[in-house]
Amino acid sequence: MPEVNAKAKPPGALEFSEDAKGRLTELRTVSEKAEAGDRYARKRLRRLVHSSSPEIIAQASDVAGSAAWMLIKTISAGEPLMQEALQERMRQMRAEIAGENPTPLEVLLTERVVAGWLLVEVLESLISAQYQRDVTTYRVPPGHIIQQSRILESATRRYLAAVRELARVRNLQVWGRRRSRPE
Amino acid sequence: MPQKVASGAVAWERRERGGRYYTRSWRRNGRVVREYVGTGPFAQIIASSDRTRRELKKAEWEQERDRQVRDMERLEALAAPLEELSEVAEVLAHAHLLDAGYHRRKGEYRRARGER
Repeated sequence: MPEVNAKAKPPGALEFSEDAKGRLTELRTVSEKAEAGDRYARKRLRRLVHSSSPEIIAQASDVAGSAAWMLIKTISAGEPLMQEALQERMRQMRAEIAGENPTPLEVLLTERVVAGWLLVEVLESLISAQYQRDVTTYRVPPGHIIQQSRILESATRRYLAAVRELARVRNLQVWGRRRSRPE
Repeated sequence: MPQKVASGAVAWERRERGGRYYTRSWRRNGRVVREYVGTGPFAQIIASSDRTRRELKKAEWEQERDRQVRDMERLEALAAPLEELSEVAEVLAHAHLLDAGYHRRKGEYRRARGER
């Protein structure tokens, strides 16, 4: 496995601010209440979506960008050509998936899909590289293989969920726009 | 009955006539095989060489185990930001869809009657 310290934050890495975390918690709570039929919560949700979303989406996009950069650095093991190729591939994927005039939410969901795809690729190659070691000198214990497989499985599941979520949001938004358009 | 003096995976046996006898055991086809090596300075040298070999093997094993722990931590650290991002995206998408007049029923979103 390339010796890149994934735990060390890359330069410019961002985490969600305390403010954003607080807004998210509030958004989650109010969503639950609105879903349960609370009319006041529904009005409050509208205000929150409009006031908090841009800030949270901006921070989430930064986190996605930092995570993707960390993954690129890990898999390229410091090879500039590989780094450049992967960045270009991700740019193309973003453009292709987001399509024309994406909403900020679609942009975020696209970032999630692209970063999720890269994570699955990176994990697959890191894990398979371990099995290429000389098995006569040391065998990877089964517990270790199971743990690695769980991480990969969870990443794959999240990646597929990301694709589904983007498709759902896009479909419902398009459908909603069509319905709200005057006849 | 010879008394065994444990020394890791090998043993010095104390004989009734006095003195110690160096033996080593290993498994062959599922059965424990014991080799009687000898006594005196020659046995001391063999025992010392066996101990060094054992310690080296243990050190190698520990090094490999540490490397595996580090690898695992690295994999988890790579996946962690994406987990956080996924959670945030789910909350936002859900809030947006609710705000757009949808409600979730058995995991599927439907447009609520009479909404916008």
